[in-house]
Amino acid sequence: MATPDERVEALVGEARRGRTVIDTPEGVPLGMPVANHGERLAAFALDITFMTAAIICLYLLIVPLFFSGVNIRVGMTVILFLAFIVRNMYFLHFEMAWQGRTPGKRICGLRVVNRRGGALTPSAIFARNLTREVEVFLPLSLFFGMSAARESWQALAILVWSLALTSLPFFNKGHLRAGDLIGGTQVIFMPKRSLTRDLSLDAKGAGGGGYSFTEKQLSIYGAFELQVLEELLRRPRPKGEGQSLAGLAQICGRICRKIEWRDPVPPEDARTFLTEFYSALRTELERKQLFGHYRADKTGAPPGPD
Amino acid sequence: MTEDARAVPEAEDLTPDGGGSVPQRMALRSAEFRRVREDGWRRLEGMVNRVEGQGIGALSSGEATEIALLYRAAASSLSVARNIVLDRGTLTYLENLTLRAYLVVYGPRHGVAEGLAEFFKRGFPRAVRAMRPHLAIALAAMMIGVASGYAVVSVNVEYFSVIAPRELAGGRGPGSTAEELMSEELFAPWPGFVDAFVVFANSLFRHNTIVGILCFGLGFAAGVPTILLLLYNGAVIGAFVALHERHGLAIDFIGWLSIHGVTEILAILLCGAAGLVIAEHILFPGAMTRIESLTVSGRTSAGVVAGTTALFFAAGILEGGFRQLIGSTPGRGAFAAATAALWAFYFLRAGRGGGADNGDAG
Repeated sequence: MATPDERVEALVGEARRGRTVIDTPEGVPLGMPVANHGERLAAFALDITFMTAAIICLYLLIVPLFFSGVNIRVGMTVILFLAFIVRNMYFLHFEMAWQGRTPGKRICGLRVVNRRGGALTPSAIFARNLTREVEVFLPLSLFFGMSAARESWQALAILVWSLALTSLPFFNKGHLRAGDLIGGTQVIFMPKRSLTRDLSLDAKGAGGGGYSFTEKQLSIYGAFELQVLEELLRRPRPKGEGQSLAGLAQICGRICRKIEWRDPVPPEDARTFLTEFYSALRTELERKQLFGHYRADKTGAPPGPD
Repeated sequence: MTEDARAVPEAEDLTPDGGGSVPQRMALRSAEFRRVREDGWRRLEGMVNRVEGQGIGALSSGEATEIALLYRAAASSLSVARNIVLDRGTLTYLENLTLRAYLVVYGPRHGVAEGLAEFFKRGFPRAVRAMRPHLAIALAAMMIGVASGYAVVSVNVEYFSVIAPRELAGGRGPGSTAEELMSEELFAPWPGFVDAFVVFANSLFRHNTIVGILCFGLGFAAGVPTILLLLYNGAVIGAFVALHERHGLAIDFIGWLSIHGVTEILAILLCGAAGLVIAEHILFPGAMTRIESLTVSGRTSAGVVAGTTALFFAAGILEGGFRQLIGSTPGRGAFAAATAALWAFYFLRAGRGGGADNGDAG
């Protein structure tokens, strides 16, 4: 379903990501963009940092306690208990209270969802986070325990096995870890996107004193080229105006050659020309699409298998 | 001239209905499509932003109805847009907005507290009832462990130190005399409220909860480590019984152990059984694919493990405090029987009726 999208993403240098399709009760299939390994790792590192910071703050509480005359063993125990709660409830609490988002995930634009599209239940959250203990913390403690080197071949065997478990996300399409498999969940990348301006509104059109293109000139390209052009026009302009102008002028030149545009387009008009061409091409392609002639790209191939 | 599209808000009046300067051009069909629906999308986006920031409670009841309507409108816009719109900006926005709204509209409507109350009232006991065969296997594994630990240490008491780790043995071993076992362990003096309920109970709770979670998580490796862990825990208990029997203190030891042991061993068995459920669904997925089967079983069994945390907490309190408060073996036995009856009643009776008894903790 998302094949054209992925092609454009690949060309304009966005992160490539797979999609898990869910069927909504409304009958509109929705693609959920799968989070990448790097994003997951970054979110996890952030969460671990926050959690450790919270626990260190708890431990620092012992200093005022020391001077307040409270039984120091009681104080220490209460602090240990609280640290235990923080360590075990951090992920559970945030994923339940914030609809599948911990602070780290929130910063990285990630979110835990039900892989099938239903509600994210507390038991699914329990499942994915209890397994974390075995996937992440056990290998870590084994790794640091290795230096103690008692029965080291046993420790090594367990370490290898648990590393295999930990590397599970690298071997499946949805980047699921064991906890996601058990909980039926998936982590998706879902930043807030805002509605960008419709570029065709900036074109004057043939009737408004803009450029005018013949039908033949508009029959060279397909939807893929149109959307790449749109991405290029939407790119924020870098500080050095000349650079961006040169890039657009180059593209403009290539398009002019391809569609056999006779009049030379001065480099400073490249953006205007491309905006006009974009608008005219989109009008033409959408009109044809309405009559059932969808054109995926310049080769005229039908849309990719999906 | 200004080329940046986003920097020209005045260009708004280029739209045909604005009565602006360039009305002679027909608007793009997709631009018109977007213009008509844009207000609804933006209103939906505002609501979704609020729910994502503050939770579902941020919406009034009227808005809760409205968001469902707006979501359906957006979904239908998306469905149409996929066929007639080639503007990537609009398409990606709509895909993103519809998915976010979908997750709000079909997301959980209850808070954390409600979910937990429901879980302990119904979900937890139901899930436990659903895994009775696994519980039996876990119990059998532990019993075999007890028997073999007992047998080995009865034959040669020196093996005690091999089976029981030093931290657990706490100075008890082949060399312990009956007096030492009596005064330092079985009928040790009450250490005082703070040490009993706070310090000791706490460290027990933390240790046992980790063991329980491991028991469950290791089920992922086809259940073999789970069984081994259960066997081993049984063997340690058997070894202790045999050690005390040499001094004729076996009954007293069982009384000493059972006061919290009923709760704690039950909790470990539940975690082990939950691990075995996972293992079963990995090894024998049946008609479903392995992953589907794992998902179905995983949620209920993970719920059980989360529920046993409460059992471990109770066991920690019992072990840390009540064990020394009740100083006689018959009294301890009676107390243990009472806890056993309580758990039996809870797990067998709670949450019966009122909806399907399918053990889903959702």
